[in-house]
Amino acid sequence: MAKDIYIGEILKNEEIQLDYFLMKVSLPAAFGQPLPGQFVMVRIAGLAEPFLGRPVSVYSYRLRKSSVEIELLYRIAGRGTQILAGLISGSQLEIHGPLGLSYTIFPEKENAVFIAGGIGVAPLSLLAEHLCKTLCFPSGQMTFYLGAQTSSAVVGLDKLSELCYNINICTDDGSLGRKSLVTTMFQKDIKKYDPVNTAIYACGPRGMMKALAGILKPAQFCCQVSLEEKMACGTGACMGCAVAIKDGEGNIAYRRVCADGPVFNLAEVVWE
Amino acid sequence: MKTKTAPQMAVQIGRLKLKNPVMTASGTFGYGEEYADYVDLNKLGAIVVKGLSAKPRTGNPPPRIMETTGGMLNSIGLQNIGVDAFIKEKMPYLRKYDVAVIANIYGESYAEYQQVARKLNSVKGLHALEVNVSCPNVKKGGLSFGTDPKIAALVTRKVKEETDLPVIIKLTPNVTDIAAVAEAVERAGADAVSLINTLTGLSVDLKNRAPHLKNITGGLSGPAIKPVALRMVWQVVKRVSIPVIGIGGIMTAGDALEFLVLGAKAVQVGTANFVNPHATTDILEGMCSYLKNNHINDINKFIGTFNEGGSSCSG
Ligand SMILES: Cc1cc2nc3c(=O)[nH]c(=O)nc-3n(C[C@H](O)[C@H](O)[C@H](O)COP(=O)(O)OP(=O)(O)OC[C@H]3O[C@@H](n4cnc5c(N)ncnc54)[C@H](O)[C@@H]3O)c2cc1C
Ligand SMILES: Cc1cc2nc3c(=O)[nH]c(=O)nc-3n(C[C@H](O)[C@H](O)[C@H](O)COP(=O)(O)O)c2cc1C
Ligand code: FES
Repeated sequence: MAKDIYIGEILKNEEIQLDYFLMKVSLPAAFGQPLPGQFVMVRIAGLAEPFLGRPVSVYSYRLRKSSVEIELLYRIAGRGTQILAGLISGSQLEIHGPLGLSYTIFPEKENAVFIAGGIGVAPLSLLAEHLCKTLCFPSGQMTFYLGAQTSSAVVGLDKLSELCYNINICTDDGSLGRKSLVTTMFQKDIKKYDPVNTAIYACGPRGMMKALAGILKPAQFCCQVSLEEKMACGTGACMGCAVAIKDGEGNIAYRRVCADGPVFNLAEVVWE
Repeated sequence: MKTKTAPQMAVQIGRLKLKNPVMTASGTFGYGEEYADYVDLNKLGAIVVKGLSAKPRTGNPPPRIMETTGGMLNSIGLQNIGVDAFIKEKMPYLRKYDVAVIANIYGESYAEYQQVARKLNSVKGLHALEVNVSCPNVKKGGLSFGTDPKIAALVTRKVKEETDLPVIIKLTPNVTDIAAVAEAVERAGADAVSLINTLTGLSVDLKNRAPHLKNITGGLSGPAIKPVALRMVWQVVKRVSIPVIGIGGIMTAGDALEFLVLGAKAVQVGTANFVNPHATTDILEGMCSYLKNNHINDINKFIGTFNEGGSSCSG
């Protein structure tokens, strides 16, 4: 169904860990089913500030009798998300979406590897759920690498553990799981995967994705990443959310995260 | 008693006849198709497309966007597909709609403005050119063409030489006397002026003691600039006799009507599209209701009825 702006009602907005919130929103049934990697722009209905919508990945989707429920997993990053965190159940939101292009799924590949940094777990959870539940991908062939700065920033484990039992956790400070960077943890395992038979899906902070690009470069893995950039329109009109992408011929051009992404082929992303 | 029939909304911008006064602002509506899922493009007064240059432009490095109080700063750097690709790839789509299409053009030299205007001259389905004179003049050390009345007039003349289409000059607010620039371009043959473009601004990231935008400065748009835009439209309508198109911070029908009451013949809706992709048609509907409720059967009877003395309005 077509993207549009819908008025949603907050059913739940809970601080699940310090500065991390899980919000459940009820939407009209006309809200189209989001594909993994797609996002919504969130604004507080009727409020002048924050002025622009904030892009947030869809973390879960449920079709109810005459409505739709989506969950958003978010971190307080600044003023906009701070205000969002203060909203109580019953508050109204303007939800613009679903927006962007989804991850391209390769269910025929033997292994699905997910590499998430912090809040990057949000779109990858929906993807894992889609693979398991819709495409009946064997849970045993999915492996999750989940990293964060510290234990309180490891979120989304409860949902993940229902979908996948190979979950490797690490933190920068060692307060949960191994003391490692998520990219290093994955690198130690890289030999386990055959590039031809493995699809890698990643989402996380810029530094992590850049490191991942360095690790994957020598091997011919197919890796898709979801990128972030500040947005204004969310629909490809303003050219605000530019990222440098290299095409097949090596030409570099700015592409729009909101309309040409947010999912890109990692090998095509240009890191300055 | 309320007027039963829908008010007459058509307006005339010189030779250019528009169904209604609601246009889109360049750079905020893509090439039209980005909003076709939200808005019936046939309903719009006109679509002004993203600024076109002679060659495709890559634009500035990110971050390009920063929200500010009541608005936003952008430093897109006029990323666009170039005039040739526009004609080949975007015009066929736009021609399917019954809507006036206006090409916003950009140049870094007189020659570039002329080249773009020439290429667009006989393009079917194109109704007018809007000339962005806020661009840096490379020969003049990057100073914008629109800041000097003489240079703005020269750009106008050069573009007029190359086209039979009506030419709208889009004025920059980053000047001391915008009306002087408006007068100069009127004398040089401009068919209309549109104002305002964005106001140059800067946003500081205190945590890193750095600018938020990679380009350091950007253009301010949104509701924060509306009073400045209104003041400038008010100054310009007094000094020129060509039609004036009002732009700046229009979010609601009321905002649009404020520009019209000052004497603007039409308005452009920009940043509002980002916040509400239905903004253009919502504004149009709101304007119609306002006219109906106030028993005004023709928008042209409302335009320019500003009461400077401030005494109460009849009706
Ligand atoms: C496609 C996409 C999906 C996203 N999904 C999620 C999600 O599921 N959960 C979540 O918590 N966050 C997500 N984000 C990031 C989220 O949009 C930003 O954290 C949010 O916009 C910050 O707004 P703010 O007003 O709180 O912070 P601001 O005060 O605007 O900024 C605070 C910090 O966040 C950075 N920032 C601001 N906007 C963005 C942005 N759009 N993208 C990246 N960084 C930004 C700023 O540079 C600054 O460092 C996503 C971003 C994108 C582009
Ligand atoms: C993201 C963005 C891109 C813009 N690009 C152009 C452009 O290419 N050419 C132009 O003449 N004006 C451009 N503008 C200026 C707008 O057309 C308009 O004049 C300005 O934003 C003020 O109106 P608003 O407050 O309604 O947005 C741009 C504005 C924004 C926000
Ligand atoms: S946010 Fe406007 S083009 Fe992506």
